[in-house]
Order: sequence, then C-alpha cells, then structure tokens
Amino acid sequence: MTATSPSRDAHVRADLHHRAEVLSAKLPPLMVAAERVAATVSQGVHGRKRVGQGETFWQFRRYEWGDPIQQIDWRRSAKSDIVYLRENEWEAAQSVWLWSDASPSMQYSSSKQLPTKAEHAELLTFALTSLLVRGGEHVAPLGAGIIPTTGRTALFLMAAAMEAAEKASTGKEEESLPPFEPVPSHGRVVLMSDFLEPLDDINRAVGALADRGVDGHILQIIDPAEESLPFKGRTRFEGMEGEGDALIGKVEGVQSAYRDEFAAQRRGLQAIARTAGWGFAGHVTDQPAETALLSLYMALTASRDLMGMR
Amino acid sequence: MFTVGAISFIAPAALLGLAVLPVLWWLLRVIPPAPKRLSFPAIRLIMRLVNPEEESAKTPLWLTLLRLAMLVLIILAAAHPILNAGGKLAGSGPLVVVVDDGWTSAKNWRKRQTVFANLVDQAERNGRPVAVITTAPGPADSSRDMASLLTADSARRFLGALQPKPWPVNRDAAASILNDLDIGTAADVFWLSNGLKQIGEDESTNEFANGLQRLGKVTVFSDPAEDMPVILLPPVSERTGLKATFRRLQRSGSQSLKLRYRDEKGGVLARRDAVIGPGKKEGTFQLDVPAELRNRITLIEIENQNTAAATVLVDERWRRRPVGLVSAIKRSGDQPLLDNLFYLDRALDPFTEVRLGTIQELLKRELALMLLADPGKMNKVERTALGRWIESGGVAVRFAGPKLATKQGLTVDPFLPVRLRKGDRELGGALSWSKPAHLAAFDEKSPFAGLTVPGDVFIHRQVLAQPAVDLSEKTWARLSDGTPLVTAEKRGRGWLVFFHITASPAWSNLPLSGLFVSMLQNLVQMSRGVTGKTSDALLKPLQSVNGFGRLGPARAGALAIKGGDFLGQKPGPHHPPGFYGDEAARRAFNLSPSLGQMAAIGALDAGIATANYQASREKDYRGHLLMAALLLAILDIIASYTLRGYFTRARTAAIVACIVIGLGSLSPASAQQKFDPLQGPDEKLMSPTLKIRLAYVKTGNRRIDDTSFAGLTGLAFITNSRTAADMGRPIAIDPAADELSYYPLIYWPISEDAENIDAATAARLNKYMKSGGTIFFDTRDHGSSGINSDRLEEISRHLDLPTMTAIPSDHVLTKAYYLLREFPGRWTGGRLWVERMAGQSPGSGGSSGRRVNDGVSSIIVGAHDWAAAWALDDARKPLFPAVPGGERQREMAYRFGINLMMYVLTGNYKADQVHLPAILERLGQ
Repeated sequence: MTATSPSRDAHVRADLHHRAEVLSAKLPPLMVAAERVAATVSQGVHGRKRVGQGETFWQFRRYEWGDPIQQIDWRRSAKSDIVYLRENEWEAAQSVWLWSDASPSMQYSSSKQLPTKAEHAELLTFALTSLLVRGGEHVAPLGAGIIPTTGRTALFLMAAAMEAAEKASTGKEEESLPPFEPVPSHGRVVLMSDFLEPLDDINRAVGALADRGVDGHILQIIDPAEESLPFKGRTRFEGMEGEGDALIGKVEGVQSAYRDEFAAQRRGLQAIARTAGWGFAGHVTDQPAETALLSLYMALTASRDLMGMR
Repeated sequence: MFTVGAISFIAPAALLGLAVLPVLWWLLRVIPPAPKRLSFPAIRLIMRLVNPEEESAKTPLWLTLLRLAMLVLIILAAAHPILNAGGKLAGSGPLVVVVDDGWTSAKNWRKRQTVFANLVDQAERNGRPVAVITTAPGPADSSRDMASLLTADSARRFLGALQPKPWPVNRDAAASILNDLDIGTAADVFWLSNGLKQIGEDESTNEFANGLQRLGKVTVFSDPAEDMPVILLPPVSERTGLKATFRRLQRSGSQSLKLRYRDEKGGVLARRDAVIGPGKKEGTFQLDVPAELRNRITLIEIENQNTAAATVLVDERWRRRPVGLVSAIKRSGDQPLLDNLFYLDRALDPFTEVRLGTIQELLKRELALMLLADPGKMNKVERTALGRWIESGGVAVRFAGPKLATKQGLTVDPFLPVRLRKGDRELGGALSWSKPAHLAAFDEKSPFAGLTVPGDVFIHRQVLAQPAVDLSEKTWARLSDGTPLVTAEKRGRGWLVFFHITASPAWSNLPLSGLFVSMLQNLVQMSRGVTGKTSDALLKPLQSVNGFGRLGPARAGALAIKGGDFLGQKPGPHHPPGFYGDEAARRAFNLSPSLGQMAAIGALDAGIATANYQASREKDYRGHLLMAALLLAILDIIASYTLRGYFTRARTAAIVACIVIGLGSLSPASAQQKFDPLQGPDEKLMSPTLKIRLAYVKTGNRRIDDTSFAGLTGLAFITNSRTAADMGRPIAIDPAADELSYYPLIYWPISEDAENIDAATAARLNKYMKSGGTIFFDTRDHGSSGINSDRLEEISRHLDLPTMTAIPSDHVLTKAYYLLREFPGRWTGGRLWVERMAGQSPGSGGSSGRRVNDGVSSIIVGAHDWAAAWALDDARKPLFPAVPGGERQREMAYRFGINLMMYVLTGNYKADQVHLPAILERLGQ
C-alpha cells in the first residue's frame, strides 16, 4: 500500500513527462481515425487521401458548372484551353478527450516493487497525449472544460489538469467515475480507471457520453492483488475512499469467491463497453505500460483502418 | 515451605494461582487477537463476500499455550522455588554454627562450605542472626571475635574468608567461647564437625556435643568413615631405604593410595601406589626411588587427600648421606687405578655425597660415614676427634693396607675392632700351596645379611685378627675357611668397621665386584645419618604448608622455633608446619607426627541430630523463571504483531534473531554454547579438513578462551606471512566431544579452575597422541604458583604420558625454522618439557630419537603463556605485554611459534640435517 502524496513536486512530474515521451517514442504518431468531417473536427495536418479542405495539393479537375470561381487555378488553366480547378487533399484532425482516474483508490500498489495504478494511468495518459500530438490530433482532458488543442500546449494542459485533479481529489465516490462533459458527437474519449465502482454507476456515466454519439475506449487498470486477493489469515479490509470496512476471518477461504466476483465485474464492464460500441481493454500494473499503450494505439487506429479504407 | 522432590517453594500460596489456569485458558481462547488491517481498493467486491453470521475467530492454539506457559512461569516465580533447599529451619532464635576448621576439614572443604552457605542462606531468608565459632585456634584470638551474633551477610563474608588450618582443632577453647556466648533465646546449633576426636579427648563420651545442647537443638554434621583423611607419617630410614607409614581411622576394606614425590620447585618426581590392608589402621610403604632422585625429594604427599597431614616435608635428614674419604694428600691423577680411594669413590658416589679431606677437615661438617683406607699414622688431635665422633654416632670404616700390616704388634691401634697379627697372609701366591679364598655367606646378624656372594670374588692377601673370645661376634664377613674379613665393634653410639683387605684390587678383587658396592651401601644405611648439631639458634619460618597441604610462602603469624625445642614442638597457629631455618640448612616441621592415633567422635546423645555433608548448594530459580517469562512475553508481543500484519515473516525472523542473539550474549556459558555461530556442525566437520587449523581446548573461562583464540590467530597470521604454511582460523574444541584427528597441534591452556577429564576423554587424547598429534600444555603461570601445574597433573593423570625431559639444547624445536636458544612467551625463564626420546640420556641430543611419530614429541609442556604473547587484535596490534623482554621477546615468541608449527607439521627432518655434511661430502665425489 503506497500512498503517494497527492501533490507531487515538479521534479517527479518532469520525470513522468520524460518517461511518457520515451514510452511514446517507440510508437509511430497516432492518427485517430475520423469517420467523417464534422464540425467538431477542426483542420488537421494529415491528409485523408481524398479531396477536401486542406493545404496540400491533391489534384486538378476540369471546371464544372457550379464550382466556385476562387478555386480555378489560373496558372494551370493558362497552359491549355481547359479551365482547371485546383483541389487540395482533405486534411483533418480528430479531437480526443482523455480521462485518468485520480481518486485515492488509484494510489494503491500491493507491493513496493509494483507501481501504483495511478502511476500507470498517468504514464499512459501522457504517452497517449504525446503520440496524439505528434500525429497532429487535438487532445483535451475530459471534464476540465478545455477546448482540445495540439502541440506542446496540449501536453502542458494535460499535465496541469491532472495535477489539479489530484490536488482537488477529496476521495468522494463520484470522482472515481468519468465526469460528464458535452463532448461533440464523433469525438473520442479514452477512460482509464480501475472501474471497481458499482456497474450501474459506470454504466450511467459511460451511457451519458455514448448517448451523445461519442466514440470511446475503456482501459481498466488494476493491481495484481485486486485480481487474485493473495492474502492470508484474519484480515480487516478497509476501503480507501470511505466505503467502510469488511472483516474476513480467513482470507484464503474466500479467494475463489472473490475471483468470481472480480470476473463478474469485468464481464459487466465489457458489456457496458459493448453496449456503447466502445472498446475495452484491461491492464495489470505488473505488466509493462508498453503493452497497454500498444493496445490503446491499436484500438485508436483500428477504427481508422476500418473506416478510412472505405 | 512446600517441597516437591529437590525443589522447595518459599511462597507456596502463589501456587494456588495455577488453579485459575483453566479459566484463563478459556478467556484467552475466546479473545482473539486483533486482525491485521489492510487497505484495499476492491473493498466493494469483498463486502459482497462477507458472511455476517461468521463465527468469531479464536486465538490460535499455539498462542494460547505460549501465554499460558508465560503465566505458569510467573506463578512459579511468585512461589519462589529453590532447588536443594535444606529443610526449613524450625524455631526462630539465632543460628550457632560451629566449624571444625582444623587440618581434617580440608579434605571435604567444598562440601563444608556448601553446608555452611546453605545454613547462612536459610538464616537470611528467616532474618535470623548467625554466630560462627571456629574450633581451630587462630593466630590471634580471632575466634573470640566471632562469638557474637552476625547478620547473614557478614557471616557469608566470614565464610568466604574461612580456610582450613594446618593444625588440629582445640574444642576446649571453643567450648569456653561458647560458654561466654550470650544469645538469650534458644538457638539452633550446627556443628560442622570433622568426625574425629581431638587428641587426648575421652573415648566414650562426647562432652563437646553435649555441651552444645546447652544452647539449643544440636545437629552434627560429619563425614562418612570412607571419607576420613589418611595421615602420612614422615619416612623412617631403614637399612633398605626409607619407609613411610600411613595411618587412618580403623575400618574394614583396603584402601589404595597414590604417593607423589615432589622436588624443590613442586615438580613431581615419581608416583607410587600404596595400599592399606583391609581392617588395618596402619600401612607401611617402602619409598623405592632411585638414589639420584632421592636427594631431590622435598615433599611427599598422598594424592587427593589435600590435607596438611597427608603432606610430609623432607629435609637433609632424609637426604643422601655425606661420606668422608680420609686422604692426607691430594690424589694423584696419573695412576688412579692403583689408588685406594678411587674404588671407594666410585662405589659410593651414586648414592652418597662423597667428601675428601683430612679427618679434621671432614669432621668440621656433618658426616654419616668415614672411610679410612690405610691412612697411615694419625696424630693425637686427629685420634681424639675421630674417637669422639665415633662415640657420638659416627660410623668409621677402615681398610687394611701395607702400612697397617707392617706396623702391627708394636702398639695397640685404638682404631681397630680386633687385635691384628703382625704381617699379612698371602693366599694362592707363587710360593703357596693354598688357593685364593672365597667369601663365605653372610651371617644372619651381619649387616650384610641377605647379600648374595658371587663365586668369582677371591681374596689374595689379608691381615689376620688375633684370636679372641669375642672375635666371632665382631665378625661381619668371613672367608670360606672362617677367617674374619670384616670385623666391627660398637663404640658408644657409633661403629668402628674394619675391612681386612685393601680398598684397591691389590689384595683382592672384591673392590671390583658389585658386592663391594652393596656392602658399602648397607654400611651407609646403617649409619645414623647426619648427627645434627643442635643449637639454640632460632629457626625462622621459611615456607609453610597451608590447610590443603600445599607448600607456600611462610604463613603470616608464623614464629621462629628455638633449635633446641624443635623436636618437641607441636604445630599450631604460631608454628604452622613447614620449613624452618635458613636456605642452607632448613629443617622440616611436619604435622603428622604430633597427631597420634585417630578416633571417631564418641556416641552422641539421643537428642542430637546427625547429618552428613551431602547437601548440594541451594539454587534460587526465581530469576531464571522471570527471565523465561519475560522472554515469552517478548515472543508473545512479536507473535501478536505478526498476526496483525505489522511484521512480515522476514522481519519477524530478523527481530527474533536479534533478541535471541542479544539474550545469548547476556547469559553465560550455557546459552553461549547453544548459539555460538562458530559451533555449527558443518563448519566443525568440514572446515578443519580444508585447511590446516590449530585447535585450542575450551576451558570455559571466557577470558582464557578469547586469549587462546587471539593468540592462535596471531600465530597463524605470522606463520602465513613468513613461511609457506597456509593456516586457517583456529578452532575451539572440547576434547570430550570433538574429533581431534584433524589438528596437528592442540593448545591446552591450564587455568586454576580447569576441570579434570574422564577416562573416556583421556582415551581419546591418548589415541590422538599415539596417532601423531601433539598436545601443547601451557600452565600460563610462569611456573610460579604451582596451582596450574597441579591442575595439569590432575588432568594428565589418565593420560598415557611419555617420560618427559627438559628440552635438550639441540632439540629439533631449536632449529626447525629459526635458530633459538630459549622459548619465551609472555613470560620467559622457565623450562620447556618435551617427550624424552628412547636412547637419549638427559642432557644429550635428541637427534637419536626413536622414529615413532617421526620423532615429534606427542606432548610439550611449558608455563610461558604463549597465546598471550601471540595474541593480536583486529588491527594486528599485540594484546598483552611481553615481560620482561618487550617486543624483542614477543618476536622470539613468534619465532618459537613458527618453529613449533614447523615441528608439528614437518616432523624431524631438520634433525636429519646433522647428516648434511656427510651427505654433501658423498655428493661431492
């Protein structure tokens, strides 16, 4: 049980930054698939392999009736009798809202050798932010009311938001659930938490986003001890967010029952994700963070590959 | 007091607490230890598992038992158990302890102390005062001082200072003190008696014990008859040698004793067995020591008696007799074989002290026997002196010769036992028909009786006695034809003996035969010995025998004895037994002759209780129990915290280890043995075989053991750095338990309190020595105290010891690596003793040693405390000063150590170097 001080100094933060960069450097820039041009999607830097708004030349086309005159490429048209329009490649960026749970329960690790869940969550958030920014996407922390931005600004904003969230954390139950923010439809959301709250609450929070047409991904970060309950003897378990406590006479005896409960919780989460049309992945803190980042990367790019090729 | 077996409880009421143990058991079982607490995020999942009807947990059985054991220990401690507590003293008055602290008490002194200490302990517990009266007179009238009531504490201090006295008790004086004793109420009287009547006491009754009853209830402690001491009387010179007498209390069964002869420095010269026959009160014993050793005997003692009466001091009177050879002129060295005196000197020298000189010169000093070998004419002064000397007990032996033969007949020589005919008789000469005559067998009356006459002794010439009535009586030896050969006459207290032949082989070959030596020996034995010059000079005390029969410096309070009163003096506080006089002529003053016959104390009144000294020392176990309870309490705390999850398993193990080691270092030897990390079985079994390691014997005295370890470590370090040897860490061994065969050398420091070894251990050590091991005994005392040497003797009693000799100057140890002349340790100046090799005469070389064990001495004995000289601390700095030689001496000590290592590791190959010149010569060809 390692309770990390909620306000960590700048040094630790910088270190996290660095580690996140190192982690994300191993993956190519992340380009979130955008299904369609939407108002919410602001101009991005990467071409979409089709004609659209953008700055890069895509093709010349014969002028047709109704085309705006401003698009006529006079230089090209002057070389022949045909009037050509200059069309640019459609360049668009996706906006992604990231959320990592900063409640006290995330500050848990069952052994000194393991990082806390919060550490992994922050690391993954930063690495993902970094990847997205390099891919030209716009990123914003969910629940902070900030418009998605790109570039280093996005990283700083993300870091500031996380720090604020940690400082403001009061251990209330609500904080363990993703906050609601009127994310535009077709926006994307990535939620990282241990998701050990009652399934109904989680379902409500996720449903509020999904109802707005928001696409999303759920990453459940858990400690190995939460998966297997490897304790012995008479033990009084205490919640970390004021849930109360529970006395177990012989922990060995309830291990298999606990594992069943845990599996049920996970199945419930998967069902919620499926219902919302979202992705779901689990991550255990004794696994390297790269594994989780890769799975996030795959999940975020997969939709583009599926949709973008159409 | 409540007693179970050997254990008594002072506060037995506390034992009732044991009755509530079942209740405590139930309570402990139902109150479980607090659970361990654990923060856990997935608490919601766990909450779904909690069964509200779950039975409350119970304390684990082992924890309950641990707590119960702790409670039992505390209850027992509250009851204050005492092992071997004597029965509770009834009554409440003071305790009167009468101690017989005469010479008899020394034999079982330890037991007496135990009984005394137990009594004092009991008195202390009951808050009763103690009066102590000792029956042996003190130097001053100190026993009178003790006749007042003391607190138990001061009585204990008095007990610590109490020592047995080397003189008999005087109960009459004690009785008068007791009469003066004013204690008011009825007391409990304990008489720690020696079980013997005092000299001159009435046989049938026991007045003293009866007198004690006046004070209160009397308990008499005494030794069983088998434990009574044996007295050794000073030996008496007889013709065949010294004869000693033992005296003991009359009892059935024979008793075998061992006698030890010690020399000036306390070294043991010889040990002999002796037996007192069954049912006998007295036994005699012939002191058959070689003549060379006899003169060195200073003290004779009975082993394991440890009383002053079993120790006999021996002075000049028992020594070699001084024998004078009368010789007017200096002996001519050019033709010794023709000289009369040469043969006498040769015959007498091994067993007597031979002096040469004129009659007057010889008579200036004490003399036992005077030999006159045809001295020629004596002047008047000489005749008068000689005559007076013989009258007062001297033995003069005269030999015939040409001078005597020619002058006979004119006047009567007063110094002849018989009248002689003029001239001599020749037998078997060229002009005679007769043959040389044989000797006849000796008469029963003759002092030579029992000597066998060899057939090859012939007499060629002799002087003849005038026939007379008393000639046959005066004749001690005769020829086969009846002619007197040796005649003698008693004059006053002395004897005049005449040999009718010369002392040289001119007249017979008797001086060349062994018979001649035996005859002269018998004459010497016959002499009265030194006729001591009695004077009234004061003989000051030189050395005293203490209560345990050990010779030491003169006792405080010892006074000088007048020379004239010496024989009549009885030992007492003013004149303890010991040596008196000056170093040149000291006289032995022994206790035993004054003791007379021993008799057991008379019958005691019916009201007097008896006991014997079998009690063991009381032992209070309260502290031990509380300590154990404390230990259990600590364990309980650790266990509780572990159950609550404050300690991980590894941390708990670490804490337990810390506590155990901490306690182990606090408690003495017993705990140390259990937890000594060096004593692991693996290290013991494996490591000695991996490297050469020295071993030292654990004495149990931590200081000595530490020094031994540091010393051998230092030696190994020095040896490793200077030689090719590669030695490991030294190891402590117990000769009774550990395998010895791994070690080339066992260093055995002897301490004052060293324990004896049993026969099985001795067998192991004997096997070790036979199979090539070397034991290095170090008495560490510079040979000064003698106590350690005594301990060494006790220890080595069962050992199969070879003959020891002081180390010869060309021994291999002097040249095994360094060339050394002496072998200093922390001290220097003493001698080193090694095994005497066969074929090696004392003082000659060891190079001709036998090849058993490669010539390596199986035992080396010294007193220089070598380990202390070798000892280095962690920073390689010496731990003890070497005196008086300082660092130079320490260097020599290391050199000796290296020589010793080379000696035990390589054997005698350096001894072979004596042949090196011859080998080189051969190789050169």
